[in-house]
Amino acid sequence: MASITIKNLTKKYGKTVAVKDLNLQIEDKEFFVFLGPSGCGKTTTLFAIAGLIKIDSGEIWIGDELVTSAEQGIHKPPHEREISMVFQDYAIYPHMTVFNNIAFPLQIRNTDKHEIEGSVKKTAELLGISQLLDRKPRQLSGGQRQRVALGRAIVRRPKVFLMDEPLANLDAKLRCQTRTELKKLQLELKVTTIYVTHDQVEAMTMADRIMVQKDGVTEQIGTPDELYNHPSNLFVAGFIGSPEMNFMDCTLFEEKKELYLDAKEFRIFLPAKMPSELRSYIGAELIMGIRPEDIYENICAEGTVQENAIRMTIDLIEPVGPYLLLHLKAGRIPLVATVKDTKAKASQEVVMAMDLGKIHIFSKETTKAII
Amino acid sequence: MFLLPLWTDITTTFKSLNDLINTIPVQPPLSPTIEPMITAFNIMERPLLNSLTFTVAATIFSCLLGSINGYALTKIRFRGSNIMFLLFSIGIFLPYQAVLVPLVLTISRLGLYNSLGGLILAHTTYGITITTLLFRNFYGLIPDSLIMAAKTDGAGTWTIYRRIILPLSLLPFVVAAVLQFTSIWNDFLFGVTLARGLEAMPASVALANLKGTTEFNWNVQMAGALWYALPILLIYLGLGKYLIRGYMAGAIKG
Repeated sequence: MASITIKNLTKKYGKTVAVKDLNLQIEDKEFFVFLGPSGCGKTTTLFAIAGLIKIDSGEIWIGDELVTSAEQGIHKPPHEREISMVFQDYAIYPHMTVFNNIAFPLQIRNTDKHEIEGSVKKTAELLGISQLLDRKPRQLSGGQRQRVALGRAIVRRPKVFLMDEPLANLDAKLRCQTRTELKKLQLELKVTTIYVTHDQVEAMTMADRIMVQKDGVTEQIGTPDELYNHPSNLFVAGFIGSPEMNFMDCTLFEEKKELYLDAKEFRIFLPAKMPSELRSYIGAELIMGIRPEDIYENICAEGTVQENAIRMTIDLIEPVGPYLLLHLKAGRIPLVATVKDTKAKASQEVVMAMDLGKIHIFSKETTKAII
Repeated sequence: MFLLPLWTDITTTFKSLNDLINTIPVQPPLSPTIEPMITAFNIMERPLLNSLTFTVAATIFSCLLGSINGYALTKIRFRGSNIMFLLFSIGIFLPYQAVLVPLVLTISRLGLYNSLGGLILAHTTYGITITTLLFRNFYGLIPDSLIMAAKTDGAGTWTIYRRIILPLSLLPFVVAAVLQFTSIWNDFLFGVTLARGLEAMPASVALANLKGTTEFNWNVQMAGALWYALPILLIYLGLGKYLIRGYMAGAIKG
């Protein structure tokens, strides 16, 4: 059991900067997710923690032990770090039986034979693969292989689990199921876990905290709730949430001491409770964001006044099941809204309203969130 | 049609000198005899043994070293590994004749001239180039994550080689071994230059010597050729199945 501290980590591949000046503190027993599109540096960070790659600058601490320091020339090999790792392609040894695969980390450490057998059996039981111990990997299904890889990781009770997209190769149904099991397992074993994924649903459902990365730069670190409801910039706002948040260019202006957002096709009256620093952005180019579920069909949203009712045309209605996806157009601005039900038909004009308590405003220049 | 030479070899082998004159080559012997087989064997016994010894040894050494090289070149990234590989590849295309003089000089300086050791060394060195290429290509198919997993599981470089890489290498070993065995066994040039006396003379050289200058004992020569071809024939018959699988290994994931 250990916390992980990363200080000023930078890793370059040639001229490309894979990870830039990363600072991070992961608490003991935390389920921490690195989230980002491919090539954002999340796996590189994971490999650096594992000790599989050397870094160009910075420090990595596991617990109170300094395991990597580019400046002091410290680089502990992976097996001295008390970590274990699950890979995307499982990386189970094809020539060994399931038993030997799980036992491998213990055999390498010259653990006593009886002890190995006990640990392997216990682990297999925990993962429900006891009946598979004599099989070879090629006789297993994807889900079973995934469990074997997991078994190999947990059998020696490391201080930290590192998981590199472990569910990416499973089919959708199994992925959901395994996701829940994995989370339960982590809660049961109480081991600090770092989980790399590009799937925001996985991140949101499993994580205690998430770090969103893009092009090697940390965009935001926070709980799933913080990332969803208070994204700190345009990228995080757009990356998290499905269907995606609606964005539109707008400017802020003041009329009779009241603040309005002007999106050209429509304007929105901002209630007085908006933070006062917003006034300094009057006239500046802004981007407004609103999540599809915060656009309502009827004028019943909080803080809505008559002026905020926006006329829109329905382009297309997509029934998803639990809700309907409305593709709308306010003039030339496309919007997506999720509604429980509607009587309206495609190409019909409807009156929509936005929940003003839930709108996000970003600076177009810095892409940082203002509210 | 392609079996005709072998057929002729077999028919001629079992012919007496009389049959040799009275029949055409493809005809079976009128009164079969194993006399030529025995005569040829008596002459070639020692050279065959020599050949077998240094071929087996050089095959094992070159395969093992090629496997280690391939592992190092694909899974341990070190500075200059690409240049190293390039040099190995160039080695494959070096003609035997080009290295003959320096080879003989080196071997004799090492005191290995006219010994099985010298032949083993020469063939191993020459073979490493092609075996390295072969193993490197095969190990390129083994996913890196397997190596990384083993590293995090606590295995060092040699443990990974021994416990992960080597057990997965049956196919390339068969392919490389057959390739090496055949080419070393068939080699004439190194044998004729590095060995002078009977104690190190390879079977290929002994077979050539059977030709004689005035006599033409076709049956004995053919018997010698049969003896000489036998090990290769046996290997191909025995390992053919693996060989085909090995040649197709590109399509199979490690």
